Amino acid sequence: MFKRVSLDTWAVLLALAAALLVRFGVLKTIPW
Amino acid sequence: MGSAAIRRSADAVPEKTATRPGNAAGLIPGILLLAVVGYAGKFIEHFIASYGKAHHLVLPNIEYVLWAILIGLAISNTVGVSGIFRAGVATYEFWLKAGIVLLGARFLLGDVRRLGGLSLVLIAIEVVLALTFMTYLGRAFKLKPKLISLLAVGSSICGVSAIIAAQGAIDADEEDSSYAIAAILLLGAISLFLFPVVGHMLHLSDRAYGLWAGLAVDNTAEATAAGALYSDAAGKVAVLAKTCRNATIGFIVLGYAIYWASKGQAAEVENKGAFLWRKFPKFILGFLLISLLATVGFFTKPQLTAVGNLSRWAFLLTFAGVGLRTNLRELSKQGARPFIVGAVGEIVIALITLGLVFGADHWYHL
Repeated sequence: MFKRVSLDTWAVLLALAAALLVRFGVLKTIPW
Repeated sequence: MGSAAIRRSADAVPEKTATRPGNAAGLIPGILLLAVVGYAGKFIEHFIASYGKAHHLVLPNIEYVLWAILIGLAISNTVGVSGIFRAGVATYEFWLKAGIVLLGARFLLGDVRRLGGLSLVLIAIEVVLALTFMTYLGRAFKLKPKLISLLAVGSSICGVSAIIAAQGAIDADEEDSSYAIAAILLLGAISLFLFPVVGHMLHLSDRAYGLWAGLAVDNTAEATAAGALYSDAAGKVAVLAKTCRNATIGFIVLGYAIYWASKGQAAEVENKGAFLWRKFPKFILGFLLISLLATVGFFTKPQLTAVGNLSRWAFLLTFAGVGLRTNLRELSKQGARPFIVGAVGEIVIALITLGLVFGADHWYHL
């Protein structure tokens, strides 16, 4: 299953997961 | 290192390496190296600013982007990147794509529609002019026809990804594609440093410069870096314009695939819809989704800042990777003629796109 998922798709999934973690308060502040 | 090694360094993460969980541990050293180099760039920027402030000195503000790239270049062109780090360093393109998706939080859909629509019109003009010019130039220099196609696709649309997409579609030689990739990578490294200088000399606004960098610099990583080197706002616009350019990749590659198939020198494209979907960069959909969520108020303002900062961290890894994967000595070994054709083409494309941006700025007040 993992082989079928492209690099692009993994990047999108990771980014969306990170954004959701921010939205639901798991990641509260991200310093820069 | 021959053509195979250049392909390895340019071709981001090979799919199998990137997606097999068993190999994930092998990526860690390289990703840590990206983080260390990127953070060192950020540290130097901060250190110079603090030093200047503490000693009442006016020091030039050199962005972390440039430091990260320079440190990476220094490593890859002196001691080299050891084998243990290579797989992880190659993930820089993965972080680039994740960063672009997260950058969607800093755009409202209205901006995407306005700037993206304008970018697409300019891209259509640029692509037609660039493909035509590169084709004639390649013929004048007596390059092989498929190498001309690869150079034309690489310099008019999307650099390395476009060349790799086109290579399979038109059955081009490995050697031709590594020539084209080497030329595009070397020219990308040069334009990364030249574009901000020219932009400042011409006093371009952030939007005009960002649009120019997005339209003219070939690789997405280099276009992002060239934009960020100018200013944060220019970096945003450069990513948007480059993303629009990336969206056209499938159509151009399909056109070339049909052309070479009609000459009996490439396989027929059976299902054109499936072909377009396969070649379409999926991260663009992620970017649009995050932008949509930001527009409808899914995130609060502090959350939007947090998501934007996540995007900056992802780009930090990317910029470190741009320097670390660029071995100037190896790239320059690939022969003069493809490089000369690429260089002349790049200069002409840069001038054409600059003219387009001036025109757009005049009529639409970027």
